[in-house]
Amino acid sequence: MVGLAHHIRRAVFGAFTVTAVLMGGEAVAQSPGAPEEIPTEQVRSDISTREIAIQSNFTGIEIVIFGAIDYAPIAEPTDAPYDVIVVIRGPTQDIVARRKERIAGIWLNGASKVFHDIPGFYAVLSTRPLRAIAPEETLEELKIGFAALDLGVNDKTLPADELFRQAVIRNKEEHLLFQYLDNAVTFIGRSLFRGEVDMPVNVPIGLYTAEVLLFQDGKLLSRDESTLNVQKVGFERGVYTLAFQHPVVYGLLAVAIALLMGLGAWALFRKD
Amino acid sequence: MLQVYLPIAEISVNLLVILMLGGAVGFLSGMFGVGGGFLLTPFLMFLGIPPAIAVATGANQIVASSVSGALVQWRRGNVDTTMGGVLIVGGLFGSILGVLLVNVLKSYGQADLTIALGYVTFLGTIGSLMLAESVRALRREKAGKPVKGRRPGEHSWVHGLPFKMRFHRSKLYISAIPVLLIGAIVGILVSVLGVGGGFLMVPAMIYILRMPTSVVIGTSLFQIIFITAAVTMLHAVFNQTIDILLAFLLIIGGVLGGQYGARAGQNLRGEQLRALLAIMVLAVAIRLLIGLVVTPDDLYTIAPVETARW
Repeated sequence: MVGLAHHIRRAVFGAFTVTAVLMGGEAVAQSPGAPEEIPTEQVRSDISTREIAIQSNFTGIEIVIFGAIDYAPIAEPTDAPYDVIVVIRGPTQDIVARRKERIAGIWLNGASKVFHDIPGFYAVLSTRPLRAIAPEETLEELKIGFAALDLGVNDKTLPADELFRQAVIRNKEEHLLFQYLDNAVTFIGRSLFRGEVDMPVNVPIGLYTAEVLLFQDGKLLSRDESTLNVQKVGFERGVYTLAFQHPVVYGLLAVAIALLMGLGAWALFRKD
Repeated sequence: MLQVYLPIAEISVNLLVILMLGGAVGFLSGMFGVGGGFLLTPFLMFLGIPPAIAVATGANQIVASSVSGALVQWRRGNVDTTMGGVLIVGGLFGSILGVLLVNVLKSYGQADLTIALGYVTFLGTIGSLMLAESVRALRREKAGKPVKGRRPGEHSWVHGLPFKMRFHRSKLYISAIPVLLIGAIVGILVSVLGVGGGFLMVPAMIYILRMPTSVVIGTSLFQIIFITAAVTMLHAVFNQTIDILLAFLLIIGGVLGGQYGARAGQNLRGEQLRALLAIMVLAVAIRLLIGLVVTPDDLYTIAPVETARW
């Protein structure tokens, strides 16, 4: 939580920068020879932790995505409010969904369906429910939301496939690997915002992207992207790398440790 | 709480729970003189460790416990290395077959079911037999009749087979075929179920091979070291399912628990103990069976795509 406070401070510091940039922008607009159009809003963002280290005490982590809107004009009372959607995507993997069937009283895995390139983690954070921010077509076009994932066609005419698709989403949601977080992004003032998301203990390792999209009146004004790296570090990284890249050495090590510990136990407690 | 992240199982577990589990299983094995692998692996599964990792890591843990046990027996001269060697040859074939089987089953999504069914079958059978035996023994004890011992060696079908070998320590001249076969079956059990296989090996040695009881435990432990070590290697290479940190914690717990268990066992009465163990074994089998027959909350499961390596 200390880290969080730190990030809030950083974000607030960011707000001052925004003001400075704003004033700078006005100065540019007034100077001769500058482009005549008024600069439109641009969203800038960053993540509280760009590197997430998984080590032995890892039990999940809360990350904060914060950002600011550059070139935000003075608000008129008739202006629609800004909306922000943050899409966090983890590394993709191929997964297989299986349906259990009862055979001779026992539930066993029967029919299955493979899905390719499914993000191991996928969270959509927003200031309001997605539908209230932009029309469905826009969301689909921008690939926002579970429906936009490559889970096959959302075709109601193939009920079996649809059940598998829903099962993947349901299962991922249960393990907090897919998250819809309406109202998780909040504005502090008019141009500064922050959003929080909990990443569970079972987050896949790899490179993540956090895409921040700024909306007003159902239209996309600007987008920004930052990356996040989830890695095992130290002992955990060593073990994982060894196990998957040098499995023979890893196996020998596992056997050697067990043999030595067994020998040690015998030497320690021998009665003869 | 003291949470510790397991690098291969990729879950966070309570350090004390794992140490206590290792300790409890070690305690029981020290008390009853059984391996305890058949209890350890199901409990790891109950804790949420993926079955394939529970099985492989269970085998890794047994390497340590069997080394300590075998050394004690070795010092007393209770190991028939010739018999052990032949069992190991059979066991290696069996364990390769078993690891291959797990790998193929995993790619079809049937590994977890096979492991659970294997446990239900073995724990159910062993538990029932043990319970029946100890109830009978307790009744006999009450009636004041002496507990019947094993009949002296009689010739059985085993003695008619070819490829006879001399096993000096066991004072046997028998065919290598049943020895290899028993080794192979135990090898499969070790690699598929993550057990030491002593519960099958010991009766097989006594009733099929007719080995003298004095060398049975030592020889069984001796070959278990090699088979579990081979299974650990095979799972590490082909399935990447050995969690070295989990194994380490289980071994520590097991070593400590085993010492107390052995001491506690000396002060308790055998038949009642055995009945208790039988009830526990049956309870684990029933718990696993319930998991297989009760309609799951969600009929769908998801898993990473895995392709068989063969």
